[in-house]
Amino acid sequence: MEIKTGDYTIWTEGATIHYEGTLRLSGTDAYQPILDMMQKVLSDKPQAVVLDLTQLEFLNSSGINLLAKYTIELRKHPDVGLKVLGSTRIPWQSKSLPNLQKLHKGVELVIS
Amino acid sequence: MSNRFGDTERSNGPGAFAMSVKIGAPLGASWQHASATCEFLGDVFAMRQAREGRDFTEARHNIIYLVNELLENAIKFRAPGGIDLACSLEDGNFELTVTNAATPEVAEGFKALLAEVTTRDPGELLIERIEANAADENSSASGLGLLTLMNDYGARLGWNFAEAKGEGSVMLTTHAALTLN
Repeated sequence: MEIKTGDYTIWTEGATIHYEGTLRLSGTDAYQPILDMMQKVLSDKPQAVVLDLTQLEFLNSSGINLLAKYTIELRKHPDVGLKVLGSTRIPWQSKSLPNLQKLHKGVELVIS
Repeated sequence: MSNRFGDTERSNGPGAFAMSVKIGAPLGASWQHASATCEFLGDVFAMRQAREGRDFTEARHNIIYLVNELLENAIKFRAPGGIDLACSLEDGNFELTVTNAATPEVAEGFKALLAEVTTRDPGELLIERIEANAADENSSASGLGLLTLMNDYGARLGWNFAEAKGEGSVMLTTHAALTLN
């Protein structure tokens, strides 16, 4: 699965979802196709879902809310792990991604 | 209800490096236009920071994030008319004001939100709002951008509402300040 525009590309590889570019969509509705893709990965009942954000340079607060919603969804599936990969090179990730662990203690966050 | 919320005190003086941008009717305030404006301001002010031996990448990102969130709000909630942005930088203190018109109804709704946002702990309220939003599909997630700015970026935010003479609308000025390293 892949969603590609001039600003960003999101694609899946097994249970890993890769995000690349700049995501600055206008709100919940605009993010819905991306959330649908993420839900599809979850519906295949993998052992763990990996969100690879290491190439996602920018994500607005509506997009951060998308990650938060998905994290809350994962709480309802205690048998499925959630690993979030970030980069120290991209400032928003060290600032905002730790909030995901406040929503779900099982989130494995690796910012390197 | 009060017409002033949060922290509207600003310190940058006439010697600050400053720039104003007007997003007006001729160009339209499109989403794409907002992106370009944020990137431009981020580049200009971060370069200024770098000239003083400070971190370019962090400054650029933080400025873009701040300008983008406040501009997104202005575009979503404004009444017809332009949006004025004024930015300044002095000793690593970045300040921004965003001015736009809003309908009285939108202004009242926003005041109610601000009354909560400016009196609660932003970190706690952010998590609470995210939870409420996830539980209710129709929730608009309003306030999450402001809470993210306050909690994750340490932004100091304040708002002023003033009656716009003879136009039946309210002029809203959003004040923001960020300490850049």
